[in-house]
Amino acid sequence: MSAAATAQGPDQSRRGTTFAATTLLVPILLINAIGFMLPVANLAVISVSEIRSSGAMTGGWSIAKWTTVATDPFYWELLANTVRTSLIVTILTLIVSYPIALCLHRMSGAWKSILLVLVISPLLLSSVVRTYGWIAILSDRGLVNSALAALGAQEPLRLMFNQNGVIIGLTEILMPYMILALLAGFGRLDPRVEEAAATLGAPPYRVFWRVVLPLSLPGVALGSLLTFVLAISSFITPKLLGGGRVFLLATEVYDQAIVTLDWPLAATLSIIVLVVFGLALAVYTRILRQIG
Amino acid sequence: MTIQNGDEAAAPDRFLSLQALTKRYGDTAAVDAVDLDVRKGEFLAMLGPSGCGKTTTLRMIAGLVPTTAGQIVVAGRDLTNVPPYQRDMGLVFQSYALFPHMSVAANVAFGLEMRGMAKADIRARVAEALQLVRLTGYEDRRPGQLSGGQQQRVALARALVIRPLILLLDEPLSNLDAKLREEMRNEIRDIQRRLGTTALFVTHDQDEALTMADRVVVMNKGRIEQTGTPEDLYERPRTAFVAAFVGRTNRFPGTGAGDVVHVGGVTMRCARPVTGPVEVMIRPHRIHLDGAGDRRADDNHAAGTIIRTTYAGNVVQYDVQAGDTVFNVEQSTDATGAIVGVGTAVTLSWSVANTLVFEAAP
Repeated sequence: MSAAATAQGPDQSRRGTTFAATTLLVPILLINAIGFMLPVANLAVISVSEIRSSGAMTGGWSIAKWTTVATDPFYWELLANTVRTSLIVTILTLIVSYPIALCLHRMSGAWKSILLVLVISPLLLSSVVRTYGWIAILSDRGLVNSALAALGAQEPLRLMFNQNGVIIGLTEILMPYMILALLAGFGRLDPRVEEAAATLGAPPYRVFWRVVLPLSLPGVALGSLLTFVLAISSFITPKLLGGGRVFLLATEVYDQAIVTLDWPLAATLSIIVLVVFGLALAVYTRILRQIG
Repeated sequence: MTIQNGDEAAAPDRFLSLQALTKRYGDTAAVDAVDLDVRKGEFLAMLGPSGCGKTTTLRMIAGLVPTTAGQIVVAGRDLTNVPPYQRDMGLVFQSYALFPHMSVAANVAFGLEMRGMAKADIRARVAEALQLVRLTGYEDRRPGQLSGGQQQRVALARALVIRPLILLLDEPLSNLDAKLREEMRNEIRDIQRRLGTTALFVTHDQDEALTMADRVVVMNKGRIEQTGTPEDLYERPRTAFVAAFVGRTNRFPGTGAGDVVHVGGVTMRCARPVTGPVEVMIRPHRIHLDGAGDRRADDNHAAGTIIRTTYAGNVVQYDVQAGDTVFNVEQSTDATGAIVGVGTAVTLSWSVANTLVFEAAP
């Protein structure tokens, strides 16, 4: 009996461990199922529901919204504009954040902590407040244009209620995320490796291109994915700084759902946003495999 | 390596010359007015405890640490303010510092690429360098796929392939296990001899310094304590610090009275007359241990009792109480030799030449 029990022992304990691990996953699986999977399934259902012109659902089915979205060039334009704007924001955020992150990575001690807190501190303010701050800076009578007028400019620069405003605002608002992601990805940067490159004859700019940049690519990829996804799904900043003249998927979903009360169209556009997320994630995984 | 310029030929003893080289961090001098000349083709070890300034000196020669004062002259050229990428130094780091995103071949090729060498020439030189460190066939591996010893050899090949003015080695063996360390010692030494490269080796391990180097520089607190051949340092240490740091030694406080020194109840003759407080050092294996009353012809004797016996395979270490002083004595073993037990009365004998005295630090 004891021999059999001993033989069974390790097997049973392994089964026990697996069981415990699965149990630990249950809460997050439940939250994910109720909070994400079900609503997405619901969205899919709504997107093929038939509605009256009042917005009330008839209970019937229709793929009218999908055909509209697929055939109306407006929506293709909307998709292209959304992806383009998000890409521009991502690239600008990367360019502005990279030197800051690199500098922070190389610092140590109290200054590093202080500056890190400063970098993260904008996240303590809601992006609504920060967007209003940008309005004060960018409007026709705002900080920038007042300064330009004082310098003798005749016409104010159009920095708001257009693409420029949306890009400027989103870039600033997303910078903390980018910087944090870059810092997380800079783990492989080793000052000794840079020194080795220097002693082998590489001047500073070649050390950067051949050693620092390649080793920081995982951080760049992670930060870019995060920023791109956040840019695509951001809605308050484009709404306020775009002034209704910049059409993006997120603002359009809002308008259709709240203003026009066309829920099936809003649901259809939401699913398209999800598909873009999926594609971004696939590209990220692909890039990571190549540089890893 | 074949063509020498005029300056080099004129001063072959001063291929590398450090002149009053100083590095200060705030008020503390990490390196304090160091003067040093290194011959062409010489293998020089810089030995000292951590924080003695040896690594800072090496990094100043490589150009990675700016100097506070003084000059670095190599082959007649003042390199003091030349950036590291124009110095032609081959530096091997303690952590190897290989490029993790490049293959072994790309790591070794890096320095040649920076010099704008043609692709075909690079390939030939890389193959040659990898053969030198016995890593042919590993060209396409990444550093992460290599063992510590192999990474070390890649680092060595990468530094040597550019045919550096000086090969600088910063504690290159301290991350390897004991057996591999011994192997790499010989390998680095052989390669350095074969190529005739001038090499500067920084270490805190006296065995490494003594066995590998033509000359050893002992550093302490930012200054050079002594420069000499391994034998000079071991047999003729100029300071108490060198005597204590290089090799094991008995270290006794004593009082000098002309030709003799009094050490805790034992009086011994020493090589030079001294007066006042002194430190006396005697290497444990230079003291003979005989039965009580058996006096050798040696000049210094002490009667004592064994209070501890430690068997270490090749040697037996005895702690011998003589007067108020405990002598550490080391005797090599052989198959027939008996180990003397604790409590045995013995006579210690050692020569005047092996009785080193130093003025005690104030």
